[in-house]
Amino acid sequence: MDKLQRRDFMKSAALGALTVTVGGVDALLAARDARAQGAPFRVLTLEEGGVVEALGETLVPGARSAGIAHFIDHQLSVPPADALLEARILNIKPPFVTFYRAAIGAIEAASQARHGRRFAQLTATEQREFVDLMRQAKIDGWQGPPGPLVYSVTRSDAVDVVYGTMEGYAALGIPYMPHIAPKQRW
Amino acid sequence: MATLEEVDVVIVGAGASGSVYASVLAKAGKTVVILEQGPDWKLSDLISSDFWGRRIKTVGAPFILEGQNPYAYSYQSGWGAGGAALHYFANLPRLLPSDFTIKSEHNRALDWPISYETVAPYYDRVARDIGVSGDAKAEEVWRPKGEAYPMPPMKTFRGGDIWLKACKEAGIRLVPAAVGMNSIPYKGRPACVYDGWCHVGCPTGALANPLVTYLSDAKKAGAEVRALSTVTRVLTNARGDRVTGVEYYDQAKQKQFQPARVVVLAAWSAQNPRLLLNSATDRHPNGLANSSHLVGRYMMAHFSSVTWAIFDEDVQNHMGTTGAQYMSYDRYSKTSHKGAFGSTFIVAGSALKTSDIGGFANARADLFGHELHAFMKRAVRGLTRIVMFGEALPRVENRVEVVSEKDEFGMPLARFVHSYDRDAIGVWNANFDEGLTIARAAGAAETWSARANMPTIHLLGGTIMGTGAGNSVVNSYGRTHELPNLHVAGPGIFPTAGASNPTYTIFALSQRGAEHLAATWKMIAS
Repeated sequence: MDKLQRRDFMKSAALGALTVTVGGVDALLAARDARAQGAPFRVLTLEEGGVVEALGETLVPGARSAGIAHFIDHQLSVPPADALLEARILNIKPPFVTFYRAAIGAIEAASQARHGRRFAQLTATEQREFVDLMRQAKIDGWQGPPGPLVYSVTRSDAVDVVYGTMEGYAALGIPYMPHIAPKQRW
Repeated sequence: MATLEEVDVVIVGAGASGSVYASVLAKAGKTVVILEQGPDWKLSDLISSDFWGRRIKTVGAPFILEGQNPYAYSYQSGWGAGGAALHYFANLPRLLPSDFTIKSEHNRALDWPISYETVAPYYDRVARDIGVSGDAKAEEVWRPKGEAYPMPPMKTFRGGDIWLKACKEAGIRLVPAAVGMNSIPYKGRPACVYDGWCHVGCPTGALANPLVTYLSDAKKAGAEVRALSTVTRVLTNARGDRVTGVEYYDQAKQKQFQPARVVVLAAWSAQNPRLLLNSATDRHPNGLANSSHLVGRYMMAHFSSVTWAIFDEDVQNHMGTTGAQYMSYDRYSKTSHKGAFGSTFIVAGSALKTSDIGGFANARADLFGHELHAFMKRAVRGLTRIVMFGEALPRVENRVEVVSEKDEFGMPLARFVHSYDRDAIGVWNANFDEGLTIARAAGAAETWSARANMPTIHLLGGTIMGTGAGNSVVNSYGRTHELPNLHVAGPGIFPTAGASNPTYTIFALSQRGAEHLAATWKMIAS
């Protein structure tokens, strides 16, 4: 990568494209593309990413393919001051990975306790019922950040990736009208 | 710790109040350094996106947030040049005369040591300096006359206009909101284009954030902004009767001592007390300026009763400004609601975005999945809201106090305890009831209250002004009663909160305090 290319590359990375290694080559991908190409996570494990995708899809249809897991994973990999997660404005204490790991752990433990299966293995109906109980703090034996807070934070992430982008506005049929358009989704 | 060259004034914080002080004092020929904890943002950093807009808010606030209504610190705060005024909605209503005399009139709360008439000329001055759009004549049914605003009212859209008739029937007169935005080009800054990105920082200059007003003026007059500089203590001389400067960690996290003839704390209502308390010495064992034991006390927030409504028509909710198209003081009397004491300030009509805390999706935070998507499709066409802000009275037990746990610079964190009282809860509930009544009368197809956790909006108190060290921390100019060359600026010096957005009063009081400091410089700084 020559100097000019590297400067453009770093600039794009700073603007939120994910720097991932695909086939041994560094590449800049949007979260949606990163997911489609099977880019590895930086912080989350595959299992954690699976929970995030299943939860995100339950919260907002389309969140999985929009790349919610890669979005969160990328934001967890950057310094908290650079993170664009709504968690940062909800008084969640950094490092944010602590919150997300605790939330994922609580979901998995509760899913096993209630259904004997991991959350990602539940049916769509079961996932929906689970989330509805979680948001109301009605899951017995819940161990982790309060269920309503987990719901609020992860729902915001799902809303962000599906509705908060320029593509999301277009899909809803409303003009985005930026003064300074984001060069990447996040 | 290195000792730097002495300056006339060191200001802690480059937000709404610090920027005004910097502008006034730099123009008066003083050498001014502003130490700002966050980045020195440029207009080009203000990307139109809810994702990117989060960067201009605090991450990892150094507060342990407790109480029945823990304060929403990060969402309300600013981080970097411009402070919270970089993402404020630029609603610029005034306090009313009754806000200054609650104790005298009702034997509740506190009186201010100054009257509305004292502040009024500074409201007018600020309007000329930064540009305010509105209809002063229309407001004068509630307040004394003043100067006309320099710009006519902003455009309105259906999402605001739709409330006019029902509010009028309820006895609520809606008038054009007074806003720090350009309805027409003003002082070389363009007119607003009504695209609703105010809340993530307006990069065009149409919205009067500090980057295009006071901070810009200050820099032109020679003030220096040192970004990523975290102040940890205010230092005093051996006798303990004057401050000598501040200790801070620079961008490289090296400890520095910045000597100054005058120190102005403008780091917002919770951080200023934290700094004063962490600056305790043998001469000031309870913290600086704290013989009253009131540093960190009387922390206040506003709360809002948001009534959402979906109409069977296109209300143009993608157009407008984030703040408000209309406002009303018709429920501002402290006794407007039976059985609950405190003012209510009403605003209607705002541009909405899809995500973030104030967006479409959060209007029904209980919905998810396909129900949420169906709601979003309806909301983008017909959703609007009317918002009633409420006044919480000062409570001494709402406080900031340092604790033993420390931050990365070895500075103690602070516990911030905040709970509303029964009056505030009563006003909050009464406003929901009235909001629903108005929405139904307006013909809403669906209407509901955003009645979840009682919100905490704006931040005031903690270093209140008063007549002496027995009842307050600072005088009406923001000068501490005990240390003549130590000022505190910002909403922290408000002894009561009113119900209207505070930034106009912050600008006005800061202008007054800074001008007084400049006028008395020889006496204060020598």
